[in-house]
Amino acid sequence: MPTIDFPKQDLDTLIGWTFPIEELDKWLLLAKGEIKNYDPETDILKVELQDTNRPDLWCTEGIARQIRVKRDKELRPYLFFKSREKPLDQINVGNGLDLIRPYIGGFKTRGYMLSDQELAQLIQTQEKLADVFGRKRKSVSIGIYRLDPIQFPITYAIADPNIAQFTPLGFDKPMTLPEILECHPKGIEYKSTLIGQSNKQHYPLLTDAEGTVLSFPPIINSREIGEVQVGDKNLFVEVTGTDLRMVLHTINILAANFTDRESTIEPLKVLYPTQTEFGESIRVPYDFRSEIEVPQEKINAILGDSLTLNEGKQALVEYGHQVKSRAKTLYVKQPPYRDDLMHPVDAIEDIAISTGYNTFRTTLPSEFTVGSLSQSEIISDKVRELMIGFGFQEILSNILASQDDLAIRMNLPDTAIIEVDNVMSLTYNCVRQWIIPSLLRVESSSSHSFYPHCLFEAGEIVQPDQKTESGTRTLNALSALLAHPNANFSEMHSYVDLLFYTLGLSYEIEPTTHPSFIDGRIGQLTLNHTPCGLLGELHPQVLDNWQITMPCTVFELCLDTLPIG
Amino acid sequence: MIPEESSSLEEHHFSSLHPLEVAILRDLHKQSPTSEADLASHTGLDSAQVSMSIGWLQAKQYIMITSEVVTKIVSLTSTGIRFSKKGSLIKQIFTEATKAKEQGLPLTMKRLQEILSLQASDLSGPIGALKKEGSIQIGPGGVLEPTKSTSDLTSALHMLIENISHGSSSYDTRPNTERKIIDTFSQRRGRSQEPFRIDEHIMRSFALTERGQAVAANVVTVGVKEGYAQLTPELLKDGSWRTHTPRPYNIALRPPRIAAGKKHPYRTFLDKVKTTLVSMGFEEMRGPIVENEFWNMDTLYMPQFHPARDIHDVYFVKSPAYSTAIPEPYISQVAQTHRDGWTTGSRGWGYPFDEQRTRRLVLRSQGTAVSSRTLASQPKIPGKYFSIARCFRYDQIDATHATDFFQTEGIVLGNTINFQTLLGLLLLFAKELAQTTKVKFAPAYFPFTEPSVELHVEHPKLGWMELGGAGLLRPEVTHPLGIKVPVIAWGLGLDRMAMIALGIHDIRDLFTANLDLIRQQPTPL
Repeated sequence: MPTIDFPKQDLDTLIGWTFPIEELDKWLLLAKGEIKNYDPETDILKVELQDTNRPDLWCTEGIARQIRVKRDKELRPYLFFKSREKPLDQINVGNGLDLIRPYIGGFKTRGYMLSDQELAQLIQTQEKLADVFGRKRKSVSIGIYRLDPIQFPITYAIADPNIAQFTPLGFDKPMTLPEILECHPKGIEYKSTLIGQSNKQHYPLLTDAEGTVLSFPPIINSREIGEVQVGDKNLFVEVTGTDLRMVLHTINILAANFTDRESTIEPLKVLYPTQTEFGESIRVPYDFRSEIEVPQEKINAILGDSLTLNEGKQALVEYGHQVKSRAKTLYVKQPPYRDDLMHPVDAIEDIAISTGYNTFRTTLPSEFTVGSLSQSEIISDKVRELMIGFGFQEILSNILASQDDLAIRMNLPDTAIIEVDNVMSLTYNCVRQWIIPSLLRVESSSSHSFYPHCLFEAGEIVQPDQKTESGTRTLNALSALLAHPNANFSEMHSYVDLLFYTLGLSYEIEPTTHPSFIDGRIGQLTLNHTPCGLLGELHPQVLDNWQITMPCTVFELCLDTLPIG
Repeated sequence: MIPEESSSLEEHHFSSLHPLEVAILRDLHKQSPTSEADLASHTGLDSAQVSMSIGWLQAKQYIMITSEVVTKIVSLTSTGIRFSKKGSLIKQIFTEATKAKEQGLPLTMKRLQEILSLQASDLSGPIGALKKEGSIQIGPGGVLEPTKSTSDLTSALHMLIENISHGSSSYDTRPNTERKIIDTFSQRRGRSQEPFRIDEHIMRSFALTERGQAVAANVVTVGVKEGYAQLTPELLKDGSWRTHTPRPYNIALRPPRIAAGKKHPYRTFLDKVKTTLVSMGFEEMRGPIVENEFWNMDTLYMPQFHPARDIHDVYFVKSPAYSTAIPEPYISQVAQTHRDGWTTGSRGWGYPFDEQRTRRLVLRSQGTAVSSRTLASQPKIPGKYFSIARCFRYDQIDATHATDFFQTEGIVLGNTINFQTLLGLLLLFAKELAQTTKVKFAPAYFPFTEPSVELHVEHPKLGWMELGGAGLLRPEVTHPLGIKVPVIAWGLGLDRMAMIALGIHDIRDLFTANLDLIRQQPTPL
């Protein structure tokens, strides 16, 4: 979820009303925003925006728009989709970009006098959109340039990495494109966005009519025309990416933002070498919105209310939509900066938000249902109750553990365990396949705690199992550990015996061998000739591996094999 | 035995001497001072008995400590044993830094973490040691650069590990330089991954105090009045209890502690939640921990390009990497819904759904995966379901992020379900689980619900807090799984409530391995 910082006064200016800070919380509900912090000294508000599907809200302008439309009762016009007579300047798209970053859109904007504060806001918006919505610049990234030095038409094409060079932002001498990828911090960070199929590195480049480089998207702008400064008034804004609809959506958000700051938007024409879903020649900003039908009946079924068609319409208009009503149905067109209406339910949520969640009646589900626990939980509760009665302290452990704990320290170097592919920490790189190591972790951290230690844990484990859909099986197990100077097989055997007796089960115990246990002091537990667990004294080597200096006897039992219930 | 009269000042104390105390006093009367080990060998008592009676006699001020010699023993930890085989961490770091320099690649802390698969906290100590020695420096951008071709510290550490790997040995007799290295690399609180471990062996000697001398002399000359310690079946049977006197106890002593059988404190909390939900008519559901992306995300209408699905948010399983084919008709219906909305009335996400990717195995990242499986298994209608599911997130572990944790969540299905019943249900949760009716509903966003709500409650003790999130499942979720009625999906964030109830400030302590902490935590009502 994106979090943004801005001066409260900027929000007030954009809305045209000075908010008492204590009222802001309530108004921010409209934008699914939550105040994380407000510093009255600096006037900086930190707001978290919840809706990952509404990138238009991740900036001051967007939040202001959402609040303003509610106060104004309708949306101010955004005119940048309206066609103009005069021929447009162009962006020409070259061949071969479809392999890596096919799409571009852009517009000119004039009259936006950048102050310190506005430049900071613009950079923040650019970063949030490219980072979160654009998935770290992979699907969408934004470039902003001083407009005046640029000669149109602009060309977006694949460059020859051996020839093309320019001075990137942050450096003071020309570099080739491969050099930028190797040495520039942004090159290192975003290099992977330009790696295509079979690991081929691609080099898209944006140049003007004179061949001057604007930028190497999505890596870095040129220092000459790509360094926007305080005081700049006329700008060229472009968005490149892998998804045309997302590119155009980002353009529309930015165009709305500039409009809100009272600057004019001049559209551009983008010419593609082949057809796209919106044609070969696209006038940008582009209006791809379509109407969505929302029947009144559906509104009332979902909201459990009896809104009139007009009430529904008004709520939507006050949330920014263009709405027509006809024959008990609303025809909803979302505002130009949004692209998240997928289904009528999305519009119905907007009605509820616009109306205010806290104005709705609450009723309880009236239909009768019977509560119950799963069979596994019933068995687990039963054995937990017994173990506690036997005097054992219950333990609750993390299920992720280290291979070291689960296998190496247990003298089981070759045992099969479910491992994590993207390891974050060696301490948590495997899912436990048995519980005994969890108890040994407690024992090895607790030699200062008075003895005897009688511990148990009932919980989930995961074991490889070829026969299942996932090649693994989640099982419920019970394990117990006794640690004190005289802890031995026979003492634990008594508890196992009592456990089975109390559960009304007759078990067998057969001698076996196991690398974690002392030979001759380890038994396999079986029920109806099916193995169901182990009971034994842990091998001194295992205890030494755990730095435990107290004899330990353990048992582990698979609860899913118990024929109970 | 007939009790003797005694006029000694120490009469009371004298008569309450325990046989173990008598044995120690007798020995110290013969020879004083004597070490704890010698006392054990002279009296034939085991060391636990000796130290117990020494404790009693010290409390009575009959004996005192005359000398205390502390010897330190150094040994290798399991980390040390590993280092002795594959080289120490500083060696690995130094080698990586040297290698990176040769290749002309900047070695950042982040890169080093990836190479060694360790966390920053594991590396800061060793890097500090190398920096102090002057064999590496941290350049601009946090880049590690070697400044020498060899590291003396690394070789010295290696020799020491080699030396100590033959067995524990004395610390004090080592030269200063070695002791310094051992100090730097020994295990202590917050530094569990170090190669050395220092144990202290304390040897104490004891002598009689003035008071003790009097009592001991009395014991030796007069003898002890042997009252009986334990009322036995024999004393009762033969009636000799009538003529014998019980030895009085020192009832002011703290009683021995009992290791009781108890529920885990966090489990107690979770059991309460479970019982409350069952009493509200919810049926428990379970699901697998290793789950494929289909049930964990795709059925929940999270597009395959959703940022919360990448390797920085979800744990992927190494092997097996993929599940077997997803059953029809669910796979086709879900895939089509992502592509173009299928027949759900939605426009869909409009991207090419990857039917290979959907089988990728992950560790369940959200409890809702259990709900989506339930929806596809002919659930009861009307029906209410819950699960308390172990979930896993790829997060740096700290005081507020655990590697795995419980999510309490579920679904409610029925023809009469709508937004108002959703709010009503949340109000009921507030009442039953947080004992409050003061609630606020805030618009929220979840990929699988619309409308979506966040529930804020005013807890009687904790003030305003977020208790959970909920919503009506999107038709894009329910229809492809064959569900035609409205469904509420809800989830509760109970960790914070649990932590406050248990007096815990660090989420990792919910699963602590410290037995003292578990034993001492009060069990909340």
